[in-house]
Amino acid sequence: MLTATLRSLAAHKARLAMTGLAVVLGVALMSGTLVLTDTVGRTFDNLFSNVYAGTDAVVRSTEVVKSPFGQDQRAPIPADTLASVIATPGVAEAEPTVTGFAQIITPSGEPVGDPTGGAPSFGANWGLVTGLNPFTIAEGEPPTGPDDVVVDRASATKGGFGIGDTVTLLTAQAPRPFTVRGLATFGDSDSPAGASVSLVTLDVASELFAVPGTVNEIGVVATGGTSEDEVVAALSARLPAGIEAVTAAQRTAEDQSALGQALGFFNSFLLVFAVIALVVGAFIIYNTFSIVLAQRTRELALLRAVGATRRQVTLSVLTEALAVGVLASLVGLGIGAVTSIGLRSLLGAAGIDIPSTSIVVSPTTAAIAIGVGTMITLAAAVFPALRASRVPPIAALRTVAVEPKPPVIRIVVGIGILGLGVLNLVGGLTQGGDTALFGVGGGALLIFIGVAVLGPAFARPAVRLLAWPLPRLRGITGTLARENAARNPRRTSTTAAALMIGVALVGFIAIFAASAKASIDQIIDESFTGDLIIDSGQFVAGGVSTDLAASVKTAPGVAASTGVRFLTANLDLPESSAPAGPASNAAFILAADTTALVDITDPQPTAGRVSDLGLNEVAVASSVAESAGLAVGDTVPAQFPTGERTLSVVGTFDNRALLGDWVVDLATADAAAVDRLDVQVWVKVADGASVTVVQEELKVLAAPWPTADVLDLSEFKASQAEQFDQILNLVYALLGLAVIIALVGIANTLALSVYERTREIGLMRAVGMERRQVRAVVRWESVVIAVFGTLLGLVIGLFFGWVMVLALSSQGLGVLSVPVPTLVVVMVLAGLAGVVAALLPARRAGRLDVLTAIGSE
Amino acid sequence: MTTIESTTGPGTDPQPPVLAARAFDAVKVYGTGDTEVRALDGVTCGFERARFTAIMGPSGSGKSTLMHCVAGLDSLTSGSVFLGDTDLTTLRERELTELRRDRIGFVFQAFNLVPTLTAAENISLPMDLAGRKPDSAWMDEVVRTVGLADRLGHRPSELSGGQQQRVAVARALASQPEIIFADEPTGNLDSRSGAEILGFMRRAVDELGQTIVMVTHDPVAAGYADRALFLADGRIVDEMAAPNAERVLDRMKRFGD
Repeated sequence: MLTATLRSLAAHKARLAMTGLAVVLGVALMSGTLVLTDTVGRTFDNLFSNVYAGTDAVVRSTEVVKSPFGQDQRAPIPADTLASVIATPGVAEAEPTVTGFAQIITPSGEPVGDPTGGAPSFGANWGLVTGLNPFTIAEGEPPTGPDDVVVDRASATKGGFGIGDTVTLLTAQAPRPFTVRGLATFGDSDSPAGASVSLVTLDVASELFAVPGTVNEIGVVATGGTSEDEVVAALSARLPAGIEAVTAAQRTAEDQSALGQALGFFNSFLLVFAVIALVVGAFIIYNTFSIVLAQRTRELALLRAVGATRRQVTLSVLTEALAVGVLASLVGLGIGAVTSIGLRSLLGAAGIDIPSTSIVVSPTTAAIAIGVGTMITLAAAVFPALRASRVPPIAALRTVAVEPKPPVIRIVVGIGILGLGVLNLVGGLTQGGDTALFGVGGGALLIFIGVAVLGPAFARPAVRLLAWPLPRLRGITGTLARENAARNPRRTSTTAAALMIGVALVGFIAIFAASAKASIDQIIDESFTGDLIIDSGQFVAGGVSTDLAASVKTAPGVAASTGVRFLTANLDLPESSAPAGPASNAAFILAADTTALVDITDPQPTAGRVSDLGLNEVAVASSVAESAGLAVGDTVPAQFPTGERTLSVVGTFDNRALLGDWVVDLATADAAAVDRLDVQVWVKVADGASVTVVQEELKVLAAPWPTADVLDLSEFKASQAEQFDQILNLVYALLGLAVIIALVGIANTLALSVYERTREIGLMRAVGMERRQVRAVVRWESVVIAVFGTLLGLVIGLFFGWVMVLALSSQGLGVLSVPVPTLVVVMVLAGLAGVVAALLPARRAGRLDVLTAIGSE
Repeated sequence: MTTIESTTGPGTDPQPPVLAARAFDAVKVYGTGDTEVRALDGVTCGFERARFTAIMGPSGSGKSTLMHCVAGLDSLTSGSVFLGDTDLTTLRERELTELRRDRIGFVFQAFNLVPTLTAAENISLPMDLAGRKPDSAWMDEVVRTVGLADRLGHRPSELSGGQQQRVAVARALASQPEIIFADEPTGNLDSRSGAEILGFMRRAVDELGQTIVMVTHDPVAAGYADRALFLADGRIVDEMAAPNAERVLDRMKRFGD
């Protein structure tokens, strides 16, 4: 029996290759992602081990503020801690580190790197103790004077400047010119993880980055003969409460794990798409095996007739699947290693810079890639294998294999799966929490499977309806194409279902993005009463110094204005609906001049006041207040990077979409935050003043900050939309793979159908069908299948988008917007894709030799 | 390539001796060297207009190859074939396809019909492929002749074997071709259905002036023809005017010797 299987495999190499291709592509993306993670992880592990090689201990604050966006903020420590550190026995040398936001502006006035979405830009003091400084001067010399700066070599290359040039640093202070004295490397790398770094003297760094009298941490080199642990023990004995000493090894491990988490996010992001690709691949494999086994019915029946057991037939099919799975996974792994380079540049294009080194393929990656690829192939082949084993020996004597009518049970099961999927999806979206993603993903998968199960029941009438214009437009070839698409409903619907998945996700993302854009527009239209927004282009870290907001406030024609900042704090709430976890109480707080704020926005207050907030007073979104059990008059203990404060709730408001969950005054922000950086400046123009004229004035004021854009409301909306589009394009590119796999599936199905219809094609050729007409029939059949799958996908995508908007309406996504032009483009592209998918099968059909075809069995 | 001058149809009965198609010193060789097979070994013959010609011979005699070559389905190794005045050996692939579509009708032994098309669509297939409108009066007559009026909307899977062959005959007649080639048209039918089909073909020749060439090894089928050609080993070995089943069977028996 095994021999028979292997013979069959060898006899159908092309079929094998086509089936395998679907697996290859999915495995390639998956292993590409894993290889990228391996490679980047290894790179950074080495880098960190190297840069901390000379350090023995690090002295730092014990206070850490968790951020909802992952990057933790550790509180600074008093600068005079240094004296007691140096005085500790076993300490040979110690030096503080002071870091903060610093954006380099090139001599020609351009910001270095991509401030909106790229790797961070930061500044630090140049370490004078060789063992403690992770940077090495590659060219030039270290900074010594108040106007000296050393930058990472990558930034100099990107910015096109060099030693001796003057650059401007944008920090929390006023923009300040520096002379480039040297270029530095981070270990062997031109830049730490693609970040742009400015290194200045300790004095300058303290002035630019630090709360006066503090430093971020202190690096320690132990005396010869003192171990890391010994020096840490000695330091711990001397340090006051709230300050700790850790070994360099621990610090390295922490950095590696923080990086691992950050990478883990990209990893998961990419793996989602790999899983989608594999699911689509599974549909193709299932379909190919189904068709091939249906075509081999007589052969299988003959095997059964001469004594093969059902078990042997099943095993023979599964052996074939195993061989396809293993081979394809191996090829996929190989391609994946190459793909990882492409993924790196894809992420780079999206602003996520990852340094390049040689490719690392870990044994785990190889095992996962091959294991998953093989398992998916086997799982997809199980149903066709079982069906094949049920072929009765008598089928050997029948001439034509007829596809049975879909039984009622199929419809019942299909609707059941579909319903379960919808429940899961809605449940996942509305419940929230850690299991939400699982519910949404699982629900979506079940919906896809449900539709695929139902497909054969409605594919025939649906396809006939869809293709009704074909006979009118294309005559007999149109009729033939329509009928060919309708003749095997199971085949057509499974092929279309594979395309449906990719298209549904593309459609969903398009609808989601359009709805998000429309919602932003609506929020601005309805509750932003200001006229201009100065956008720093930065969000989580960085911004513009408060000098800009201050000069805007006094500019002529400005009625009201405020700098807007975001603070992170850990709040101790009476009731928390979020599950327990390290970042569960991490809050994102908007800080603004609350006197001006009410002139520029409509906070929709519900109790107390949102305006004129004093120091340590906070206003809360009413829905957050409700779930946290807070009311006006309550107090909330809040941990900021500079220490703990008790905030008093003085008001609640409804406009969560614009203002977020928490609002404090800039007075509180100035006291509580390390950095004073405005993310945006909101401006209301005085009555009678021209918005355009004021905008031009403010552009002049903002000129020293090239990263900041002075936008009117329509320009601001457009710039928000643009940011969405960047992410969208990345997602579309990754979903494109799933679509390509589905097209391979269409090509595969058509090729098998053409093979099956050899005699019919031969007959038509004999009675006068031209080759181009044969090709047209195949091509139009392909277009019909592609359009059918796309239509299914768009309907599901629309449903997903609608559910998503319903679920997120309380969080500011209030408008369902269907981007009709985009969806029409998707439809047209699907038709063209159908033409492309049909190229090879149509060519083969056109080339069939008439005599062989009519003579063939 | 005009078809008007050579079109035959009801009431335009041309002079019988005029040849609808002919082969001259036709040679067809398959393979080379040791595996060389001379399927046709210098065949010269003609098929008269408005006549029913049967090509007989044991399997491997070359009768199907002769038909395929004259019908533009296969090419000769040497020699020439003419349909009317057209030399098929000079035509390119596409011209041959158009020639088959516009000037030739086919009835095969089995798998004659496109399963996705209805009987009516199958009948008009060659004309639809050409983008021509079928002559509806003529179509009605053809459909009536083969007795399919109530089956036109059915698909092949809903028709019996005999009905399927009648649809095939109707298709061959519908485009009023210069010549119809039938390859064992009754090979898969019971004798009653077979007789029906042969009766239609006979009437098409007698009443409509259609030219038909039929390949068969069934002496009874050959009995419906005006003339029988006998092939053996790629050569024409005999010819019989007004054959009947008994004489043909006698002649065929001699091949066994």
